[in-house]
Amino acid sequence: MNVMGIIFANDANMGDLADKRTMGSIPFGGRYRQVDFHLSNMAAAGIRHVGIISRRNYQSLINHIGSGEEWGLELEEGGLEFLTPYAMSASHSYRGKLENLYHGMNFLNYGANDEYVILADSAILANLDLNRILSNHIESGKDITVVTKAGIADGRKQLDLAIRLDKKGEVADLAVDYVAPKSYLASMDLFVISKTLLKKLVNECIARNLFHMDRDLILGSWQSGQISLNVYQFTGLAMFNETIEEYFCNSLALIDQNIRQDLFYRHHPVYTKVRDRVPSYYGEACQIDNCIVADGCMLEGTVSHSVLFRQVSVKEGCCIQNCLIMNDTVVGENCQLEYVILDKDVTVRPGSKLIGTPSNPIIIKRGEIV
Amino acid sequence: MHFQKKRCIAMLLAGGQGSRLKVLTEKTAKPAVPFGGKYRIIDFPLSNCVNSGIDTVGILTQYQPLELNEYIGNGQPWGLNKTHSCAQVLPPYERHDKKSGWYKGTANAIYQNIDFIERFNPDYVVILSGDHIYKMDYSAMVEYHERNNASCTIAVRDVPLAEASRFGILNTNPDSSIYEFEEKPAKPKSTNASMGIYVFNWDVLRQALIADEEDPNSSNDFGKNIIPNLLNAGHKMMAYNFDGYWKDVGTINSLWEANMELLGKNPEFNIRGAEHARIYARNYALPSSYIDSNAKTVNCFIAEGSEVYGTVHHSIISTDCSIGEGALVEDSVLMPGVVIESGAIVRHAILGENSKICRNAVVGGAFGPKEKKKISVTAKGTVLEENTVLLPGEML
Repeated sequence: MNVMGIIFANDANMGDLADKRTMGSIPFGGRYRQVDFHLSNMAAAGIRHVGIISRRNYQSLINHIGSGEEWGLELEEGGLEFLTPYAMSASHSYRGKLENLYHGMNFLNYGANDEYVILADSAILANLDLNRILSNHIESGKDITVVTKAGIADGRKQLDLAIRLDKKGEVADLAVDYVAPKSYLASMDLFVISKTLLKKLVNECIARNLFHMDRDLILGSWQSGQISLNVYQFTGLAMFNETIEEYFCNSLALIDQNIRQDLFYRHHPVYTKVRDRVPSYYGEACQIDNCIVADGCMLEGTVSHSVLFRQVSVKEGCCIQNCLIMNDTVVGENCQLEYVILDKDVTVRPGSKLIGTPSNPIIIKRGEIV
Repeated sequence: MHFQKKRCIAMLLAGGQGSRLKVLTEKTAKPAVPFGGKYRIIDFPLSNCVNSGIDTVGILTQYQPLELNEYIGNGQPWGLNKTHSCAQVLPPYERHDKKSGWYKGTANAIYQNIDFIERFNPDYVVILSGDHIYKMDYSAMVEYHERNNASCTIAVRDVPLAEASRFGILNTNPDSSIYEFEEKPAKPKSTNASMGIYVFNWDVLRQALIADEEDPNSSNDFGKNIIPNLLNAGHKMMAYNFDGYWKDVGTINSLWEANMELLGKNPEFNIRGAEHARIYARNYALPSSYIDSNAKTVNCFIAEGSEVYGTVHHSIISTDCSIGEGALVEDSVLMPGVVIESGAIVRHAILGENSKICRNAVVGGAFGPKEKKKISVTAKGTVLEENTVLLPGEML
């Protein structure tokens, strides 16, 4: 496949969860990090050059991805590359994706045979066939393909890039950071573009001090008639994890079998870092229902409608509902938890009671003891 | 090509059929038999090697090697695929002098691979088998061997006197040096049973293997020939006591028992353990498991990728299994990919990989705690049709 991939794993608007993480390294679904989904999409499509762009807090991301071995991206030629920022003065940090791309331009020069670039964002999870999307792009003859999802615009959610089509299926309107009505499609922040055009547009934008991908490169170039847009409507499941509320709701949505099927099996498996934990142990007194459970857990209490990540320990007498509990966290005896996100390595002392709400789950930071 | 000298390498005997595992090893070698939800038997000696700092392992295969070879691959899951490490599969091969062919016995298997061992010019060679479930630090045994200036050290454990005649028994002096070795004695003089784990000085073993090969009456076996010959020749041989968990999983009943011994709050064999004593396995890309609102899961292991809608009690559910609504799985081991349809009942069974128990079928039965358990077994890929019965102790 003559295409290279770029995944943005930038700062996350996820409160305490993103304290020391990028959007790409936010844990999801018990065993995964958000970046795993696009990495797996690209690996499964046979893409041999993948660049990961991240602005700060990227230790956890590098730790997770390593050499890219688990995704089959540990290659002699090409493979995986981290495009982390160069040292900058305190006053100047990368302002938008275009500055990221501009500074990662060297990466675009690798892979001389790669004609196209697929740009993806780790905040949006989907199991995609990128080859089909590339073919669609080439057939369309347009300059840029935007992959979109219907049904995300609801008149409440602010979309990064909203698109309205006319009756012929051509783009009638584009809007950036727009609380769009239902008639709009939401961009999945996934674009296909030829490498030459991408380099040209990025250089032009940067020269004019423009740095915003959706506003300047897509909307700006479209409005000025410089580019034509093809819209690919993805019909499968797309999870937009852009806020804590969305993330929390999408995490618990995995309890639905159809959603699991779509996200984990639609086109190809989803790969992640191997941790070699033992199978989870369900104790004599445990009652587990409607739960997603990763490996290595020790379960002695009652847990319902929750996601348990790797090596979580739930002691006897606990009553846990609607919670996300991340790796290596221990919940002591007789705790009562509802609508809580416990980050990694948290210790909840016996007898504690924490009650959040669906739209405002309580978040306990990594490593804390409560 | 130049190879780095190694102080110690391991040779893992993985060529046996394990015929007492019956249908479970019809199409796969015993070391590749699944165990404990996500492991295979060979993961234990391989992980022990890695955790003991042994990074070069020769794996001798012969019987039904396809699955085993595929599983070992390049050794990546155990970190044995690096520049200075290897997990090298060593099948029998044809030689110009026609002196080779199938491995005639355990000693002959090593003999035929002298060239492989010589590449690393090791001081010590550890001989292991792929038949046992245990965690052991081989480096402590090698140190013991070195400290005692022995030619050969054999790991031993205390077994009940009644069972001693099933093992190779070592009779030792007070300083743990061995003065006599008896292979499966009718009247054992001690209860020090050989665990089939040996440390040899490579020069001593090399000579012994060559001499053994020249003896037309030898059965080319470590227990029957190499060990007694070295003793008779006056070599210093030491017994190394190991009292941790160790289980031969060579029979249906012992395989079932060893699986069950993983369960409980304080299990007989704690497979978890510290960072440096982890058991590694080849991982497949499966999502987390799902436990439904109608499911009941009590005292069991459930591995990733499994979906449980029914009741599971005192069982091992391996990766990628599914248990339908109203189904019951009790006192059983489900190997990877098993499907239990709704309403089916499975008790005291080992179900081979990808077996399918259709609606309302019944497998096995219940036994009292003191009763001899008759385990029902299905081979890999078996389908038990709707409403049919597989009796206790039956195999399919």
